[in-house]
Amino acid sequence: MLKEIMEKQMVELRKLWNNKRQLLFQVLNLAMIVFSALMIWKGLMVVTKSESPVVVVLSGSMEPAFQRGDILFLDNSQHEVGVGDVVVFKIKDRDIPIVHRILKVHTKPDGETYELLTKGDNNRVDDRGLYAPGQMWLGRDDILGKAVGTLRYVGMVTIALNDYPVLKYVLVGFMGLFVLTTKE
Amino acid sequence: MHTVWVRLNAVVFYGLTVLLGLSILAALSMYGHHNRHKPVVSRLKLKKLRSLKSHGGVDRALLSFDLHADLRPTFHWNIKQLFVYVVATYETKTNPSNQVVLWDKIVEAIHPEDMVIKEDNIFVKYALVDQGAELRGKEVQLKLMWDHMPLTGGLYMGESTNTSTFTLPIDYR
Repeated sequence: MLKEIMEKQMVELRKLWNNKRQLLFQVLNLAMIVFSALMIWKGLMVVTKSESPVVVVLSGSMEPAFQRGDILFLDNSQHEVGVGDVVVFKIKDRDIPIVHRILKVHTKPDGETYELLTKGDNNRVDDRGLYAPGQMWLGRDDILGKAVGTLRYVGMVTIALNDYPVLKYVLVGFMGLFVLTTKE
Repeated sequence: MHTVWVRLNAVVFYGLTVLLGLSILAALSMYGHHNRHKPVVSRLKLKKLRSLKSHGGVDRALLSFDLHADLRPTFHWNIKQLFVYVVATYETKTNPSNQVVLWDKIVEAIHPEDMVIKEDNIFVKYALVDQGAELRGKEVQLKLMWDHMPLTGGLYMGESTNTSTFTLPIDYR
């Protein structure tokens, strides 16, 4: 059955190539979809002042509240952080964002500099062991944003794409193909 | 235009749209609930200061406290769990504001028996540790806070107005 579909798509593509105007129309269609998605993403980045306004929960350290595959909406627009806030942070020079809760907040006399300690709800110990060697506290700059909302299971797709990168190409390939050849 | 793929496409995307709509409605249904229904904290008070010592260059206090709280009013169908914690706040010269969690507990909606806390002499889970050596003689406020964690939607905090304070001794003990 898959062979039939592929053959059908090939026929459509060939028809498309002959009709340049139609081809241009379909390409612009595809571009519109891609750019709309990009605009929404960038818009979210501006509103939340975060470089990563939506993150996927990757580990079980915040269970049972957040499970692997949930997505979190972040807001980084407020400078202030308080004890108990669920925040997403990155250790310097490491790529993986971590979602944990703030356990301790010490505020310096300028009222703006914080020294923070975090801990995952489901972990036995605080995060000092995760920080960079010699680092005892996190600063406000390490924080990507505060979690303000959650959606269940939606992030499962991202985790699958991460674990099996070839799926990324397969998915994009199929989607591109369908948008180019569909007549609706 | 009645192939399997077109139909599958229509069903899947319509399904996703409906799911998104329902999620937004679920999130909206929580609006204002925590203003109308608040947990009742009847007692949060220091029971006994076990020790105040200098430990590795920093001041460290170990204590126990009483906690009587009824968390049931703040639960509703979209709340999965409440993360409840006792916060100690104090001021020092080096740090005008210090907020430290002494004890926390996860109260899940599926375990209603956890929702009423009536314990005395609870020992702290995390010691009250200062960044420096400035705990002696300081006034510490104890406050109960809770984080509402929904199935879907926004996270929001609440805190008790019924707080208590105690003063740490001027000398190590």
